[in-house]
Parts: sequence; C-alpha cells; structure tokens
Amino acid sequence: MNRFRENALIGVSWACGLILSGIFFLLVAYLAHQGAGVIDVKLLFGETPPLQALLLQQRVFDGLFPAMVGTFLLVCLSIVLAVPLGVATGIYMAEYAGARVKNLFNLVFDVLAGIPSILVGLFGFALAIFLHKHFSNRIQPCLLISALALAFLVLPYIIRTTQAALEGIPGETRLTALALGATKPQNLFHVLIPQSLSGMLSGLILAIGRCAEDTAVIMLTGVVVTAGVPTSLLGPYEALPFYIYYISSQYAGPEELLRGYGASLILLLLCTMLFFAAFLIKKRLTYLALYRP
Amino acid sequence: MNDEQVKIKVTGLDFFYRDRRILTNLNVRFERNAITALVGPSGTGKSTFLYTLNRLWENIPDARMSGTVEMSLGGLWRDIYEGSYPVTELRRRVGLVFQTPNPLPMSIRKNVAFPLKLAGNRDRRLLQDRIEQALQMAYLWDEVKDRLDDDARTLSGGQQQRLCIARALVLEPEVLLMDEPTSSLDAAATEIIETLLVALKQRFTVLVVSHYLDQVRRVADCVVTFPDGAVVSNSSETR
Amino acid sequence: MIGPSERATERILLVSAAVSASVTVLILGFMLVMALPLLRGGGLFSLLTQHWEPGKGLYGIYPLLVTTAGISSLSLLLAFPLSLGCACLIGLYGQRPPGTLLRRIVQLMTGVPTVVYGFVGIFVLVPLIREFFQTGSGMCLLTGALMLSVLIAPTMILFFQDSFERVPRSHLAAADALGADRAQKLLYVVLPAARRGILVGVILAFGRAAGDTLIALMLAGNAVQVPGSVLDSVRTLTAHIALVIAADYESPEFRSIFACGLILYLFITVITVLVRRLAMPESGERP
Repeated sequence: MNRFRENALIGVSWACGLILSGIFFLLVAYLAHQGAGVIDVKLLFGETPPLQALLLQQRVFDGLFPAMVGTFLLVCLSIVLAVPLGVATGIYMAEYAGARVKNLFNLVFDVLAGIPSILVGLFGFALAIFLHKHFSNRIQPCLLISALALAFLVLPYIIRTTQAALEGIPGETRLTALALGATKPQNLFHVLIPQSLSGMLSGLILAIGRCAEDTAVIMLTGVVVTAGVPTSLLGPYEALPFYIYYISSQYAGPEELLRGYGASLILLLLCTMLFFAAFLIKKRLTYLALYRP
Repeated sequence: MNDEQVKIKVTGLDFFYRDRRILTNLNVRFERNAITALVGPSGTGKSTFLYTLNRLWENIPDARMSGTVEMSLGGLWRDIYEGSYPVTELRRRVGLVFQTPNPLPMSIRKNVAFPLKLAGNRDRRLLQDRIEQALQMAYLWDEVKDRLDDDARTLSGGQQQRLCIARALVLEPEVLLMDEPTSSLDAAATEIIETLLVALKQRFTVLVVSHYLDQVRRVADCVVTFPDGAVVSNSSETR
Repeated sequence: MIGPSERATERILLVSAAVSASVTVLILGFMLVMALPLLRGGGLFSLLTQHWEPGKGLYGIYPLLVTTAGISSLSLLLAFPLSLGCACLIGLYGQRPPGTLLRRIVQLMTGVPTVVYGFVGIFVLVPLIREFFQTGSGMCLLTGALMLSVLIAPTMILFFQDSFERVPRSHLAAADALGADRAQKLLYVVLPAARRGILVGVILAFGRAAGDTLIALMLAGNAVQVPGSVLDSVRTLTAHIALVIAADYESPEFRSIFACGLILYLFITVITVLVRRLAMPESGERP
C-alpha cells in the first residue's frame, strides 16, 4: 500500500481541521474583542432609565431593548403557531400515514425544509398584500405576518424531529401498551409521546434558534429599524438580526457601529446557549437509551 | 381433549409478512387451565402466532392474515376477529408477556396500575387492592412492597419480567400468552418464573413459546410443534 | 371497531398534516400566480436571457442566474476539500479529543446566525480583499463565495461524517483483520463506501449556498451584472428578492422577483428529488 497517500491524508485532514477551527475562533474572538466592552446597561436602554423602559413607561431610542423584545415576541409567536401544527403532523407521519401518503408527504416536507428563507419571506409578503387587498386594509407586513412566515420556515424542523423521535421508539415498546388493551390514542399519549419528549424538545430548541437568527424572512415581512416595543400584532416591530444587518451597511458613526458589535455578540451568545441546551437534552436522550438494562 | 376443555380454536390460519408466508393452514386447539408449550425451530412463526391470538399483529405494518380464531371468553364462544368485538376488550382478556422485560419508564406501582388506568379505572382503593393482588400472584409483592414508587427499571431482569407478568395479570385475563419469558434471564430467575407458571394455570389458560426442551418437560401439559401445529400430549411422557 | 375519540384523534392529525403539506403547495402557488403575467407568450425566454435594465424596460434575470450559479459553485469548490478534510480528521480520531473537539466546533458553527457571519465579513473580510487585490470596494463575488463556504462547510462536514459512520461494521472489521491502520481504513474502506453519501452532501450544500440570502446581500456588492471576474460586484437571485421592494405591485419589476422565487423553488425541488433518489437505495439496504 501507498504510505505517501496515507500520510498525506493525515496531514491534509489536520490542516483542514485547523483552518476551519481557526476561522471559527477568529470570528468569535473578533466579536468578543470588539463587542464585549460595549455590553452594558446603556447598550440595551440608551439614555432611558432601565426600570421605566422595562415597565414600558418610557420609550428607548438608543438601545437594543426594543429589538430584543421584538425578537422575543417574534420567537414566542412563531413557536406557538408552529408547534401544535408541526407536532400533530409529525405524529400523523410517524403513526398513522400509510406507505404511499407517507412517501408523498416526506417529499413535500423535504421540499419545504429546503425552500430558501427569502422565499418564505416573499410568500409572507405576498400573503400580506393578498390579505390587504381582499380582506382588510388594516393588514400589512407586520409582527403577525412575520411570525406566521417564520412558523412556516421552522415547521419542517418540528415535523421531522417529532417524526424521528417517534419512529425511533423500538417496536416492542410500541406494542407494550397495545397488548395491555390500550387504544391507539392511549398508546400515543401515555407511552409514545412521553418516550419521545426529549427528542421533540431538542427539535423545538433548534426551531427557536432558527426563528431568533433568521433575517431574510423578517426583512420582507414587516421588520423596521425603529418602531419601539411592539404594541400590536398588526404593527411593525424591531428585531435583533435585522438591526445587525441594518447597522452593517447604514451605520452613522462609530458609536452605532459599536452597538452593532454588541448586538452581534448578544445574538451569537443567545444562539450558542440554545445550541447547548438542545445538546444537553439530546445527551440525556442517549443516556436514557443506554440506561435500559 | 373433549370439547368442554377447549378454550381456543384456530382454524385455517394463514399469515403473511410482506410477501413471505409465515404460517400455513394452521389448525389447532388449546386446552383451558393448562400450560401449552409452543416449540419449533426459530423463524417458524411462534411469536407471530401469539400475536394472532390478541390481534397485536394488526399494529405491524405489511402483515396480513386469514383464517378464524375462536375463543371462549366470559363463558361465550366468539370469533375474536368479528367486527363488533372491540380489540381493546380482547387484549384485556388475553394478556401477553414479551420476550424481554419491557417495563414502561414509570414507577413499579404505575406500571401495574397502567392497564387499569387504560381501562378507565380511577378508584384509588380498588387500584391499590388490584395492584397488590397482581404482584402477589406474580411472586413479586414481598420484594417490592416497600419501594412501589421506585422506577421500575431499577429492578433486576427477573423482577422486571415478573412485574410485566403482574401487569398482564392485573386485568384478570382468561388467557395468558408468553413469548419466551425466560430467555433473557438467569437460572435462578427462570426457576421462579417456572414455578409461577405452574401456579398460574389454576386460574388461566397459558400459552408459552419456549426454546428449552427441559423447561417444556417441566411445565407443559401439552406441546404444539411449529410450523405444522401438531399437538403432542406431554402428560403421558412425564406424569 | 374504532371508538369515536380514536377517530377524532386521527382526523385532527390528518387535517394538521394536510395543512402543513398545503403550505408547501401554497408557496409555489403564490409564486406562480404572481410571476405568471411575465411568463406568458414567450416571456419566460426573454426573462431568462435578457439583461436587467428597468430604465429601458428590460427585466431579464439572466445576470442573477449566472451569479447565483457562479457564487454557489465557487463556494462549493472552496468548501468541499475543506469539509472532506475535516470529516476525515473526525473519522480518524473518532472518539478521541481531536475528533470530538472538531465535531463540537462544527456543530456549534451550524448554530451561528448567518447575519453574524455577514457582519464579521463586512468588517474583516471585505477590507482584506480590498487591500489584497487593490481594486474596488472589496465587496465582490469572491468575498461572498469565501464567506458562503464557511457557512456551508459545517453542514457538509456533518453529512460526510454521518455517511462515514454508516459504513457497515463488517467492512471495517474485515480491514482490521487484514492489519489496516486508521488512515488505511479511511482511505481504502470508508471513503469508497461513503461515495454516494459524499455526493448527496455536496448536492445539499449546493442548494444551501444557492438559497442563502444574507451573505451575498451583505458581501457581494449587489450590482446587477454578469460577472466578468471573481472581483466583480454581483447580485444573486436571493439578494434580488431582498432588494426589490417596488411601490407598484403590478409592475414587471415587482413581478420579476416572483420569477426569481419560482426558479429557486423549482431548483430546490429538483435538488430534493435528486437527493432522495440517491439516498433511497442506501437506506433500503438497511431494513
């Protein structure tokens, strides 16, 4: 055998690994270096007293507070919209769908998962125009439309993780309750869903991360640079990722740019934390699977 | 075997999985209050056959069956595949114990109470009585009475299997199906379960799949060989 | 016999699945309906071949198509060897620190927000490119492709690595028995056996690169032109959608973004079908 090829493989692999981790560490270090000093109360609330801002008594102008609230509300709304539909669909796919329906729907959801987020945003935008024309002229791109579009974006994630968690349950466990006289829904709610909860949960957290970081969907569906804390579902709102995008091209001075670094770092930390949360839950999942004597 | 002793009648049973034929024109009868051992090489459809007696195969995709299965349940003969007979009702009267112990991830108490809960029983006093009774019957009560709220998966393999037997017994079924109940257990645990089986036949009709000929000789009243379903009486040889 | 609650549960679940599936169809429907006026009567041909000059009434998306194809291919070209190398490193040191550590980093990278990559790209990569090549603003096809390759590498690595792990144990045991070391096993057993998985990973990554908006939007310059070199400022299909917000919803300019959307949608559908075709026999082998 060829010694040279094998040694080359090892060398090249190491080089690639070092390059990629180097890029990642550079990115994190750069953001931390530029942004860490900026993160303080003033970054969030500007000149407004924090308590009054939190109680929504006074509007925050030069801080990230409204954008963070906007992102938070956006994530909550999208998840509330996406989870019931996604989980129910996942359950149907895993437990009820016949082979042909399953095959077709698998393809449909694979396509949905692959649709670029900007298209989902464009869809939300077109939907808003459509509703505006045909139903109520109060409807325009807004928080609700964004949340709906984001819900569609993460729907396939939730369907897939639910389906995979249920399908991962061993055949005999699946039959245990049925053999004891359980109906199909009883089996589902008493055995199958509780057993696949951690799998579903890690999918949920990944979906939250996706909602929090997405920029392409919201930039077409109602996010704006200044709106303050959102007051209505049908109104415009601010969001952290869009703020970062906006600052990167339109910053008016060094101070605004620094705020952009701060916002990037906060968003990065948020997504990292969510990632670790999903990871810990999944780790527990494998632990549970191994624990079985 | 005269007609009064018969509990289960299987006629012309064919079973297919995907395009593979598992069972062919099986005709066999099972005696009440006796232990019948199902023996034969592996892959000849013994476990599958048990699944046709509580219709559990219907939950396995790509499986197909024809033929009739009649049982005397609650003193009445009925075709268990008859549309008007609820499958959940059937499974409450025909208990099944799996090859590997499969306690659900909940406490010992909840595991045994689970079938009662599924059947809609909520009376706590009654639940408590039935749980104790079932665990007594499965020779497990003395070992677990002080730790009923522990996770069932903390029990040893043999205890887990007896827990699963208790769980199957708590509904007071008439027929008990067992799929190689001792194959994953050590000798000591196996012995307890064999003694238990012999005690259980006073009240139940027991069908047990077994690979161990000495076990069959020790506990079985009747032997059915697979795949053909020929019946060999065990009593003349050993008793 | 099935009880009423059983039937109700099944019906609710079926309706949910139908609603979820209809979202996919609805998105396609909206794109089609909005783009249709442009596609009628040979419109499709001029749309795909003409240039984009709204002043002269030309709304062709040919430059965008070329750019998207170019930037995705270039990023793939950059990311593929890097990803394969990283996947090999993880494969070589499976359960030991270099392998597990790199795997964690790669997994973590999948969670980094795209906009953060773009933001750092603007303030680090763009000046670098500008200084190095001494031309233009530094926002060009190459900048976009470089950052895009960082974005798609983790997906590819995890996919490659997954297909490495699917290589049957028996193959590895056979190599072990013949006295192969780690590198030999990887080179002569794992890599050949995982060929199909690697291909699928590449196709998926290509779809991901073509579908990404933020990186190209922030780093590639956004000038609508057919790129003559990698240092030209360019605009992708996705960036085009993000940038055109016309006031007149009936104008061809506005409708052209739905044509872009339609093309991306069809492209993703083709990729999905292709991936499923390629992945099917592999999954069929394992019952």
